[in-house]
Amino acid sequence: MSRWRYLAKRFLMAIPVLWLGTSMTWAIIFLGPINPATYVLGQTNPQNQAAVKAARERFGLGEPPLEHYTEFMINMVTLDLGQTWLLYPGTPVMSLIFDYAPRTVWLGFWSVLIAVFVGVPLGFYAGLNSNSVSDYATSLTGIVWRAMPNFWLAIMLLALLVKSETITQALFGIPISWDTFLVDINAITGNPQLSYMQGNPLALVTQPRETLAAIKKILPAAVVLGSASMGNEMRIGRTAVLETRSEQYIDTAKAKGVSGRVLVWKHILRNALIPLVPIVTSEAFLLIGGSVLVETVFGINGMGKLFFDAAIQGDLWLVATLMFIFIILIVGINIVQDLLYTLIDPRVGYERE
Amino acid sequence: MGTRETPQANAAGSDDPLLAVENLTTVFNTDKETIHAVDGVSFDVREGETVGVVGESGSGKSVTARSILGLVERPGVIESGSIRFRGDELTGDNWDRYRGDISIVFQDPINSMNPVYTVGNQIREALRIHQGLRGQDAREEAIRLLEEVGIPDARRRVGEYPHQFSGGMRQRAVIAMALACDPDLLVCDEPTTALDVTIQAQILELLDELQREEDLAILFITHDMGVIEDTADRVNVMYAGEVVERAPVDQLFDSPAHPYTRGLLASIPGQTAESDRLPTIGGEVPTPTAEPTDCRFADRCPEAFDACEQVHPDHVRIGSDHTAACLLHEDRYDRQLSASGAGDDTPAGDAAVDGGGQR
Ligand code: SF4
Repeated sequence: MSRWRYLAKRFLMAIPVLWLGTSMTWAIIFLGPINPATYVLGQTNPQNQAAVKAARERFGLGEPPLEHYTEFMINMVTLDLGQTWLLYPGTPVMSLIFDYAPRTVWLGFWSVLIAVFVGVPLGFYAGLNSNSVSDYATSLTGIVWRAMPNFWLAIMLLALLVKSETITQALFGIPISWDTFLVDINAITGNPQLSYMQGNPLALVTQPRETLAAIKKILPAAVVLGSASMGNEMRIGRTAVLETRSEQYIDTAKAKGVSGRVLVWKHILRNALIPLVPIVTSEAFLLIGGSVLVETVFGINGMGKLFFDAAIQGDLWLVATLMFIFIILIVGINIVQDLLYTLIDPRVGYERE
Repeated sequence: MGTRETPQANAAGSDDPLLAVENLTTVFNTDKETIHAVDGVSFDVREGETVGVVGESGSGKSVTARSILGLVERPGVIESGSIRFRGDELTGDNWDRYRGDISIVFQDPINSMNPVYTVGNQIREALRIHQGLRGQDAREEAIRLLEEVGIPDARRRVGEYPHQFSGGMRQRAVIAMALACDPDLLVCDEPTTALDVTIQAQILELLDELQREEDLAILFITHDMGVIEDTADRVNVMYAGEVVERAPVDQLFDSPAHPYTRGLLASIPGQTAESDRLPTIGGEVPTPTAEPTDCRFADRCPEAFDACEQVHPDHVRIGSDHTAACLLHEDRYDRQLSASGAGDDTPAGDAAVDGGGQR
């Protein structure tokens, strides 16, 4: 079937993208002006030419560019990610990533999920009830929500959660502390405890208490990170439903006697999902950038924070490796997008005559 | 003067025609004005016959079709009048009982089917709703329907998506889907306009065949007088939301009574052999925004006279089952041509009438 051939083609096309992205990363980072040797020598004696040279040698920076490039590419492709130089000297990058990535994945997962599961249904609801009071209310909330900047929202949310007892007391007459609500968490910010799932991913369901605590811990950060996406998805979802509703095949279906519920679920919503696919995936890209900020504010030791620290400290090797991982992620998300397209829209990959 | 007084009895033996539209008024309320897209339209369709509705774009014919199917949506609303199917009133949201009994084929086959489901899926959906068929039975029936509308290799194509069909094939599939509802009345809204001429002829032939085999009544809506001539038994000519002339097809082509009808006929290629140029009616259909106080065709009418600006013409009987809404046929008005009208008392459309007679 041509749909699946199309998907395979997209998969193959990812390879040159990966190569190009990684090469550019190498060029920008290693051909740039930053000299990590001076960081390493730091306080001692950066003027000592011999020491600088020795440090450069140690990092492999003395090699001719072509050799260095080849070595870098081979290392990346074979996932031989080496060791960090400065941040946690001597630690293999791979183990750092294994240590940091789960928290970011957890954060990204929930921020995408919350955005999709709140934004899309609200948008669809508004679109199905267009120009009603509830549509206006939803749309207005969505716009306001979307307009709030990440960092401001993060701070406000934290402020509210810290004062959760006082606020609920004033509103409902009962003090509910966010810290102890449903499950105890020791602090509002910080790392979610994910270690219980180590080597046993099923613990996600078998140990609901730990899962709940981990979700609760990540929730404020995930809401902040997903807020812009949520607003966008709502807006696009509303427009998509409105547009689909006026399509002629909807009239055909109505004339055919398709009942209201089937009309909405079968005929309108699936078509309305098509324009949402690129929105959701492109927002997944934003999350990679957004996680740097949000992880810093919420004190989560994730990939975003690691990248930030590595960049600040001039740990070029770690920066380059993380870039490579991000590129893989982005290419991967693109493939997921194509897969979703292929599943939802049969017209994908169809050559018009 | 209604057409229902005609002596022809319908097949069911009751006096009710299959579909009776009476004084239908469908308006669109915008912030600025109220557009009377359909304004007091009456006609009926009897079992097994083809009734044509013809007019330029903007004449309200498509809105008429949508009104009959209950597909008018905000800001549009059926303001008044009645639409009765088998004697039962449909306006006031009673369409659900007769869904499927009235099926529709739209102009644009590209958008008439949901792009994300297979053709078979959409036909089976209609079969399940209207004939209670499921599973393998529904599949077999869908294949049979596709074969009936002339789609080759139906067994394979039933699993294909609409975009894999060519335009003509897709329109056939749409017709198959309409047939799956087991309709008594098929509303065809410009079903061949988007197709090229050879395919158009094939689809018309198919509709003709189906009508004979299934004893379908067809309401055929088009801007194309040539198509009307080939398909319709009786014709309603619409202009600016109103029916301006209604007649059996032969009478309409032999002796059109309304200047607008004459204009339409004159603009069919081949009807005016002597002239090199194709005569067309100048100007555009006005958008009616208020109750009419004049003849809405007056601006473009080659025979307009003073009274046309002041009086809204009612239907006048021309022959049996033939009426026209034109003051020319009412004796009480002084037929003094206004300054802007043609200087000749001979109606310009006469040439067209003669041409029509020689066909
Ligand atoms: S009523 Fe007057 S303007 Fe209207 S069609 Fe007849 S002659 Fe023309």
